[in-house]
Amino acid sequence: MRPYQVATAAVIVLIAAVAMFDSRAAFSPSAGTAPGDVGARWYPFWAAGIMGVASVVVAYRALTTPQGDEGAFEGSRSLFAVLKLAVPMLTYAVLIAGIKWRTTDFTYTVLPSFGFYLSTALYMGLFAWWLGRYKIWWVGAIAVIFPIVIFAIFEIGFRVSLPKSFLYDSGILPF
Amino acid sequence: MEVFGDLAGGFATALHPINMAMLFVAVVLGLVIGVLPGLGGTSGVAILLPITVFIAHGSLPGSDTTTAIIFLAGIYWGALFGGVITSILFNIPGEPWAVVLLFDGFPLAKRLGKPGLALASSFVSSFLGALVSTILFTFFALPIALKALEFGPAELFAVFVLSFATLIGLGAEAPMKSLAMLALGLLLAAVGFDTITGEQRLNFGQVSLLSGISFVPVTIGLFGIGEILASAEEQGIGYVENISAKLGLTDVFQALRELRKRLRLVLSNAVIGFFFGVLPGHGATAASFLGYGLARQYSSNKENFGKGEISGIMGPQSAADSAGVASLVPMITLGIPGSPTSAVIMAGLFIWGLQPGPVLFIQHPDFVWGLIASIYLGHLLTFILCLLAVPLLAMIMRVPYAIITPFIVVISIIGSYSLNNSILDVFITVIFGLIGYWLRKMKYPLAPLVVALVLGDSTERELRKALIAGHGSPLYFFNSGLSTVLILAAVVLVLIPLVRTIRARRRGAAPPAAVAHP
Repeated sequence: MRPYQVATAAVIVLIAAVAMFDSRAAFSPSAGTAPGDVGARWYPFWAAGIMGVASVVVAYRALTTPQGDEGAFEGSRSLFAVLKLAVPMLTYAVLIAGIKWRTTDFTYTVLPSFGFYLSTALYMGLFAWWLGRYKIWWVGAIAVIFPIVIFAIFEIGFRVSLPKSFLYDSGILPF
Repeated sequence: MEVFGDLAGGFATALHPINMAMLFVAVVLGLVIGVLPGLGGTSGVAILLPITVFIAHGSLPGSDTTTAIIFLAGIYWGALFGGVITSILFNIPGEPWAVVLLFDGFPLAKRLGKPGLALASSFVSSFLGALVSTILFTFFALPIALKALEFGPAELFAVFVLSFATLIGLGAEAPMKSLAMLALGLLLAAVGFDTITGEQRLNFGQVSLLSGISFVPVTIGLFGIGEILASAEEQGIGYVENISAKLGLTDVFQALRELRKRLRLVLSNAVIGFFFGVLPGHGATAASFLGYGLARQYSSNKENFGKGEISGIMGPQSAADSAGVASLVPMITLGIPGSPTSAVIMAGLFIWGLQPGPVLFIQHPDFVWGLIASIYLGHLLTFILCLLAVPLLAMIMRVPYAIITPFIVVISIIGSYSLNNSILDVFITVIFGLIGYWLRKMKYPLAPLVVALVLGDSTERELRKALIAGHGSPLYFFNSGLSTVLILAAVVLVLIPLVRTIRARRRGAAPPAAVAHP
């Protein structure tokens, strides 16, 4: 566990260092707008400072006190159980948003936005097929029914507009 | 007494058909959330928070902010009860505060073959604990709020410091990890425009970060997605115990007889749970372990603990539910969340345009007393539903993993997006889900991070107002007797882990862990 503890503390120290650098104007004589005010940068500077010092102590204690021999995961099975969920989840978020590359003159679409409903159909269907090992018509039913129910509740019931797909923009689908 | 008149008005508000309907829906949702091992009360409340915006703004006929708070709090009451069902029947805690029921609840159900009695014992003691706590809430809330109205910036800042100190001093995890998480929460709260000078900070040139990091997507990520990932790991290595889920009237009457024998324990744990729950940063989980410890300490049947002793169910349940209710007291009266769940509820108040704290009693008495009355009604409703619907609730555990897990992710994504219609919030949720999962693995407590994130702005504002009032002198904080006492108490609390470590070293042993966090 030691390397993981130290690495985690090191990342927190790094975040603290970046925040402190961004807030270095805390020590400018004109920091505050009113007499006695410490200014906008003082508070984040010291919050980051405290965070950094606390994490250095955590790392030091991880290095100097006995730690368990076990790794961060209890075997490859538990690691894969997490990855099986984390990777599709990240892909799902990317599918909803799409990938666009903006320059000053032009926006390049690397991956068109699938929007919420198409992405949810793919995501729920993938889990039903891959982890649930359901028959194909069950997979199809899950992929269709869930987005429709969500559409009825949120778009119609609560009038919450969720992200639409590139097919909506071209008038092919209503979502 | 004035309080009875206010409470009667609160009941009139809470009993309005739309409020009762939403309370019923919320309690059912809370029970389901409580039963699902991958979804906790905090994440459930956070995920459903965006829906309350529409409820508060009258999307439903007759609904308003009181309906919204009744709905949000109702989810919490349901989750407080629902979490125990899976602990007792399947040996899987649905909620962190139900972990303690694995010690005696599951053995009573499995080894002694009395699942109905185990469940009924848990429900009757939970109900009594919550009832005692709500009565104390009714009588304590107004005096605390009226006193808090006299607070200036120095006193308010001192109260915030004290609440942060309890998270460090009384936390279960290493105090330095609590401190790091607390500071991270304060830092995240500082992203975007400074509320006093209007200056940009920590946005690194990104326009999307100018309005700051929203509390809701972070919380949904840390608790909702983080818990799902943790539970995915357990699914990969664990298995489910299974016991028949039946609860008859005989079990209820037997539980009531057992309760009569342990009335003193249950009532005293309820009172202790209340005062423990009022402490900022703590809640039902910490109180449940404290309640178990007290039940065992004062039992004449210590040897039966761990083998299905009913006091080992009733003691912690009474304290846990009492603390769960009490965690709303500092939120409503002082604007300080008593637990991560009440931090989410408090974020709801901000979103609906209300200012949590003592002025609520003056400006929105219907809202406050409607909420208090709904706590009585909510617990009664939850209690009845639990007695009637245990087999149905237990069936939720049989919904396949391949459906329920992605569904929770989908609902989390809707929750994070719909508050600000922001794709950035979706990514914040996913990223904080991964961060929360990892921090949990590395034993960093998440409660200080969430509480600091919601209190960060107010803490900075009061600190700077006090410094401006004192012309930059920190001695201003010691001009008032109350703020001096609170700051000294905070210092003592922060020193507790240090003293504990020194004493343990003298004895040549590892420092003992304190109570567990919510």
